[in-house]
Amino acid sequence: MTENQHSDNHAVSPKPESAVKHLISFLIMIILTAAAFYVVIKSGSVVAEHLILPLILVFAVIQVFLQLFTFMHLGQKGSAYYAIFIMLGIVIAVISAVGIILM
Amino acid sequence: MGTLIVLIVFALFLTAILTGGYNKTFLERVKNSKVWDWLTTVDHKKIGILYFLSGFFFFLVGGIEALFMRLQLVVPHNDLFVGDTFNELLTMHGTTMIFMAAMPMIFGLMNAVVPLQIGARDVAFPFVNALGFWLFFAGGLLMNLSWIFGGAPDAGWTSYTSLALNNYSPGPGVDFYVLGLQIAGIGTLIGGLNFMATIINLRAPGMTFLRMPMFTWTSFVTSTIILFAFPPLTVALLLLMFDRLFGSHFFDYTMGGSAVIWEHLFWIFGHPEVYIVILPAFGVMSEVISTFSRKRLFGYTSMVFATVLIAFLSFMVWVHHMFTVGLGPVSNSIFAVATMAIAVPTGIKVFNWLFTMWGGEIRFTTAMLFAIGFIPTFVMGGMTGVMLAAPPADFQYQDSYFVVAHFHYVLVGGTVMGLFAGAYYWWPKMFGKMLNETIGKIHFWTFLIGFHLTFFPQHFLGLFGMPRRVFTYQPGMGLDSLNLISTIGVVGMAIGTIAFLYNIYWSFKKAAPAPADPWDGRTLEWAISSPPPVYNFAQLPLVRGYDAWWMEKQAGNKSLPPAEPLGSIHMPSSSFIPILMALGFFIAGFGFIFRGDFVGAIIGLVLVIVCLFLRSFDRDHGYHIEPDEIEETNKGVQA
Repeated sequence: MTENQHSDNHAVSPKPESAVKHLISFLIMIILTAAAFYVVIKSGSVVAEHLILPLILVFAVIQVFLQLFTFMHLGQKGSAYYAIFIMLGIVIAVISAVGIILM
Repeated sequence: MGTLIVLIVFALFLTAILTGGYNKTFLERVKNSKVWDWLTTVDHKKIGILYFLSGFFFFLVGGIEALFMRLQLVVPHNDLFVGDTFNELLTMHGTTMIFMAAMPMIFGLMNAVVPLQIGARDVAFPFVNALGFWLFFAGGLLMNLSWIFGGAPDAGWTSYTSLALNNYSPGPGVDFYVLGLQIAGIGTLIGGLNFMATIINLRAPGMTFLRMPMFTWTSFVTSTIILFAFPPLTVALLLLMFDRLFGSHFFDYTMGGSAVIWEHLFWIFGHPEVYIVILPAFGVMSEVISTFSRKRLFGYTSMVFATVLIAFLSFMVWVHHMFTVGLGPVSNSIFAVATMAIAVPTGIKVFNWLFTMWGGEIRFTTAMLFAIGFIPTFVMGGMTGVMLAAPPADFQYQDSYFVVAHFHYVLVGGTVMGLFAGAYYWWPKMFGKMLNETIGKIHFWTFLIGFHLTFFPQHFLGLFGMPRRVFTYQPGMGLDSLNLISTIGVVGMAIGTIAFLYNIYWSFKKAAPAPADPWDGRTLEWAISSPPPVYNFAQLPLVRGYDAWWMEKQAGNKSLPPAEPLGSIHMPSSSFIPILMALGFFIAGFGFIFRGDFVGAIIGLVLVIVCLFLRSFDRDHGYHIEPDEIEETNKGVQA
């Protein structure tokens, strides 16, 4: 379908991406998720209890960046739409979180 | 386990028989049948029809549930549907109407119209489009099967915890709600993403953002709201599912959970949801009013701006559903002000419609009647909305029939009238047949009068203190006659709906084929035949301004200027994977609801994963329609 349509705002990647990059970041994300679960289940014995929350937050942040840059192509040129919508998403998420916590 | 093996062996036998073990022509016959064509279609026009008609089916189901509730409330101390049954009716009515009727019918119109309006040959992801439809259908079916399997959900369409937890809602009812909505929600989410991708990427050459028709704009903004509003619902439903099925305590305050979190999550989704169902109706109204006033839409840019602003504000008002929870005066005031602010862009829209009609050459077709009836009705709903937005007053209105009257004025007066207007307006484009105008006018007048008769008295019922969601009331409290009037009004709405059903029958049986441009339309979809050929546009059109087709007609052109030479057109192949994947989710949903050892859930999810695998390694890249074939169809149309 798409190749027949003209579109003015495609994200243009300089060269086709390798599947390896996707596979690796997918694998890392699976491992990080599993690790977060493992740390919580074995709470106290692997990591000290007060470090669990910061640790899984770090895992989460790494995952967010992997998601944004490998799968959502945020690093590519012509990605103004992505940037707009991701910013909008962040704004709404922040409003919701602030609303729930402070109100 | 034994039963399972027997079942699998039986299924294998059946597959062997059906796929050529005994009857080799069977497979061939199935593949050429019309039913198989519709089940596997990835064509946006057919998916639009599927969405619209199945949405209308659920609209009838939800309508019958409403009818039952009004019959129960016709006289005090009635005992037709009492207690649990009434709770089930009200829950299923709300949930069905919002998720299974309004949204699918909106998606139906979006599918049928948006690609045509932007001059595209299909949506960006035709496969995902089909998947979205089948997931919605699986979810809707799953939820409605609850009537047969152990009782419908009865915790209200908002399904507030703690009421919705195991202790207070035993039995599978709320599980059906959770799983059904979760599955339908996945479908809606991918549908919304698909339309965003379509509108951003597939606009015809020259179709800039500010030349897009208003319906396309509202569809785009609606899709954006879906993208941001559905994840909170997904999360809330997942947490509720864990609470109910796996013994977690997210919402159980006796174990350290928080019941208010459910309300927050639900309304962070729930408030944008009401704009998801009203904005496309605004879009329909803009198209209809502009076409039948033979005028350019007044204040197009401000309409776009207002739409975007409403969408943005819709995410910061959810607490107005929770004024009486006790979050404190600061919180209530902030959200009250934000809520009242929404009246401003909505007011802009209303005035723009009025100014569009002013001085126009108005034709009172059925679609236009619905649009004109919509304006005062919706404004009344909006006014009560502003009344409800004032927290001190809201403490009085809270949980009374006043609220019921308010949201039926905006949802029926807004969304349903918008959908009917859209149906009459685009029916020829969707089906290639006109709807009957006389029956249409009967439909409009009975429905409009019945609607006001039903819901106008409910304002006063609320002010007189009648609580919503309660199945009876005492005689001699001043509630008797208003309730009677309200129930009489339902008859009008029912007659209107039956008239519409007859009109559908009439259009299929007796109507002549529709011309390409029956309404003297303004936008691109009226430039091609009704119904359009499978590839929509033989050559992608060149768009030279807003209301592109109207501009060309004014310039004396009989067709749109092409933006490309006639060439072979790449089309996506039909696929049976979407329906199979939806079936997997459906089985998984049932498996979760029946609990036990979750065998069904595992089988269903395995089927889903197999489908994902099949799809990922699918080497079918579609087919091409060659120019000579296109010319032949074109000749056929002209002759």
